[in-house]
Amino acid sequence: MLCEKCGKNHATTHIKTVVNGIAREYNLCSQCAAESGYATNSLTGMLASMFGDISKYESPAQKTRCSVCGAYFSDIAKSGKVGCSECYTTFYDELLPYLKRVHGSTNHVGKIPNSAPLMVKRETETVEDLRNKLSRLIAEENYEQAAVIRDKIKEMEAKGNE
Amino acid sequence: MSSWYKNSGPSDDIAVSSRIRLARNLKGIPFPSRMTTEQRIELNRKVRDAILNSNTPFAKSLKYIDMRDVPEAQKYAMVERHIISPEFANKNEPTAIILSGDESISIMIGEEDHVRIQVILAGLQLSEAYDIAERIDSLLHASLQFAFDSKLGFLTECPTNLGTGLRASVMLHLPALENSGEIEALSRSIGKIGFTVRGMYGEGSKSAASLYQVSNQITLGLSENNALDNLKIITTQLIDKELQSRKELKTLELEDICYRALGTLQSCRILTSNEMMNLLSRVKLGKSMGILDIKASPIKVLIEAQPFMLMQKYGILEPKDRDIYRANMIREALGQ
Repeated sequence: MLCEKCGKNHATTHIKTVVNGIAREYNLCSQCAAESGYATNSLTGMLASMFGDISKYESPAQKTRCSVCGAYFSDIAKSGKVGCSECYTTFYDELLPYLKRVHGSTNHVGKIPNSAPLMVKRETETVEDLRNKLSRLIAEENYEQAAVIRDKIKEMEAKGNE
Repeated sequence: MSSWYKNSGPSDDIAVSSRIRLARNLKGIPFPSRMTTEQRIELNRKVRDAILNSNTPFAKSLKYIDMRDVPEAQKYAMVERHIISPEFANKNEPTAIILSGDESISIMIGEEDHVRIQVILAGLQLSEAYDIAERIDSLLHASLQFAFDSKLGFLTECPTNLGTGLRASVMLHLPALENSGEIEALSRSIGKIGFTVRGMYGEGSKSAASLYQVSNQITLGLSENNALDNLKIITTQLIDKELQSRKELKTLELEDICYRALGTLQSCRILTSNEMMNLLSRVKLGKSMGILDIKASPIKVLIEAQPFMLMQKYGILEPKDRDIYRANMIREALGQ
């Protein structure tokens, strides 16, 4: 279906509005949807656009499918929606750069489910986490913070060797 | 206890409500976009049993509702009360909700993620709302296995929610910052630090009644506590800026605007939704600045005067008739 506004691109965004109790439906392309102020569901539009030119994922070389839900990476890139929890393992390498761009990090900090009641992961980081942080800070030329982290790593390594 | 909009809460002359949402998915079932009808029905049952069979006193205050049994108008009335998302109301698949008597807790089953725990409270009560959400999370986790990865955290259908799955938001009434135009610059700088400012009805929506939602965007690499603390700081700063900006409003003009708004609401015979929002926003400003002496809560009136809320009370109405019912209701609520 073509976009109802520009009539050029494929309509990818289905919009249902209820204004003063009157329901209306529109089919727009992502660009026109964004222009009309309808960012798609939970930033999916933004995310899908962050995957850039998705045609490169549709080449025959990219034929990996998720063994659980059957999704190709192109499905995820197109919709901005991941098929199932297993997709995160199957397409880990492909997803990582986008996660980094969206969240600025690729490592979970916070609550972790345990067999017992939920426990909060201690926020003291591992040496590896700190090393990642250090390289990031150096890349950002944030040397003051980097020095603090460097000292922390030294301290932790010293403790580990005791 | 009653719904958030009928209650008062800390700092609620500006911070109207606080909301916590946790996204969770079960292991071994595709995410909602790829689920079959059978899988959805099975999911509803699993989540329902996890909560209702838990035999905790807490669970007794919760009720399971099959959304297929809820008439369309009532679904949209729930959206207007901020109990469910518009996306959830639009779903045609079998979905369900577990709701507390006071509607502060709503667990959406089969929205964008398998489970979305929502807690909404009046005023600025982020930690309080989070504590309740966490209890439900633990309760669910006692009998269900969540999709979780030690590196990526809680796995979600949209990678923007990955990690903690936590979206915390505060709804703020910011008429002075809107009037001075400062809100735009503030929104931009808040956007740069991983938070977002949006209109009342969420993503992409325009603000109505000068109500803005501030929420965290980053869910990976930031703990729940950090996200909440940062949001609290931003909220406090926005409240301070709003108060500052209110001081700069010219007294006589401000009084004029507030009294005119109240006068219109107290004497109108036909009132559209838009006009109602604009005027009640001014009345709220006047009330919180001590200009208007009224008992009614403008937010409660605003929520109840929305189209589907009106129809829930008075039956299905044509838009024209609704405007008449709305005017009558508001004249009565504001005491004339």
